[in-house]
Amino acid sequence: MDPIAPPRVPAAPAASLPAPPPTRRRLALVVGSGSVKCAAAFGLYRALLREGIPIDRVVGCSGGSIVASAIALGFDPETCMRLSAALWTREATRHPDRLALLRILFPRLLGFEPGRFGLRRDTALRAALEGAFGGRTFADARIPLHVTATDFHTGEQVVLGTGSIVEAIRASIAIPFAFAPVAHEGRLLIDGFMSDPLPVNVAMREGGDLIVAMGFESPYQSQVRSAGRFAFQLSSVMTNNLLKASFAFHGLAHHGEVLLVVPRFEQRVRLFDTDKIPYIADVGEQAIAEHLPYLRRLLAADPATAP
Amino acid sequence: MQITTARHAHVTVVAVAGSIDALTADTLTARFGEEVLSGNPRLVADFEGVEYTSSAGLRVLLAAVKAARQQGGDLRLAAVRAPVLRVLELSGFTSILKCYADVPSAVASFLG
Repeated sequence: MDPIAPPRVPAAPAASLPAPPPTRRRLALVVGSGSVKCAAAFGLYRALLREGIPIDRVVGCSGGSIVASAIALGFDPETCMRLSAALWTREATRHPDRLALLRILFPRLLGFEPGRFGLRRDTALRAALEGAFGGRTFADARIPLHVTATDFHTGEQVVLGTGSIVEAIRASIAIPFAFAPVAHEGRLLIDGFMSDPLPVNVAMREGGDLIVAMGFESPYQSQVRSAGRFAFQLSSVMTNNLLKASFAFHGLAHHGEVLLVVPRFEQRVRLFDTDKIPYIADVGEQAIAEHLPYLRRLLAADPATAP
Repeated sequence: MQITTARHAHVTVVAVAGSIDALTADTLTARFGEEVLSGNPRLVADFEGVEYTSSAGLRVLLAAVKAARQQGGDLRLAAVRAPVLRVLELSGFTSILKCYADVPSAVASFLG
């Protein structure tokens, strides 16, 4: 059999290739999972606005999807904080789904469907999300926005970038056991943190040069005296190890810079401590402050902006 | 960034001060490379003066430790400040690099 001849492509001498024009480094902001602590990214956002540093892309995961969406839609930092305070309420998770509990105990009798399994009803949560984001879609975002979730059946990361922002956030915060997964285009989606709590890879793939990644370690339980706390502890162990492994790979694989911003909270921040959002945002602003001198130097050295 | 080098018996101590980032990475990479190529693969990086490291800084460390180990040596860190140590921990580097409280401990570790 004759070998297949390679297509004939006239070779252009390398010297004739025009040099690409100098371009400004594209900054992508990635906000990882971290429940109410994600509000720290509003402080980071406030600092970048003050410094006049433009954001070219935003990626959000789990709680970070709420923050990322607010930033991408162009809300000012104060509005973002008010919105966040309205979302992270006990009311949003107060309503138990007792039938789901019974389905755990009697799966054969009542039937167990992964797509409907969540110990909390999401009615109040959806209402809160609708109140914050209304009918906005990704097309309304002033800054390109990506929200990550996880395919329940394959474990793959799923990146959402079209359609309803509320639906995307709802999928991204589908905390296992708490809220039911979300059906989306033939897939069943669960919380984005299950595939990557800090999805730097999305910013890399979408062309971010300079990536500012705000990540949060899941808290460990000081005391484990219930099955729920036991599950939380296991989740923290797995999530924190996944965060480190994933960030290690992405930080080394990226052609540009990844600035890891990890806020350090002196005060204890619980899941629904919305009254601490101003404090949380301040901590986030302090966290990015450590990076600002370098960020300024880096941007000043940019070929497109350097004098 | 400032770099100074000192020899301690069979160990070379590379003291770094300032920020290790994309703007300074090449200089430090070259210094580590020179030491390894000169037959000094037992390296201690004195990080007491390092205030900041970015992902570009981590790539420098990775390249240096691989080069050193390929030549039968190692790169060990000393006196890493808390904020830099946190970045190293979160990026998994403390699981592949040996870190010591101070330079004498790091130098002594090669004698064992």
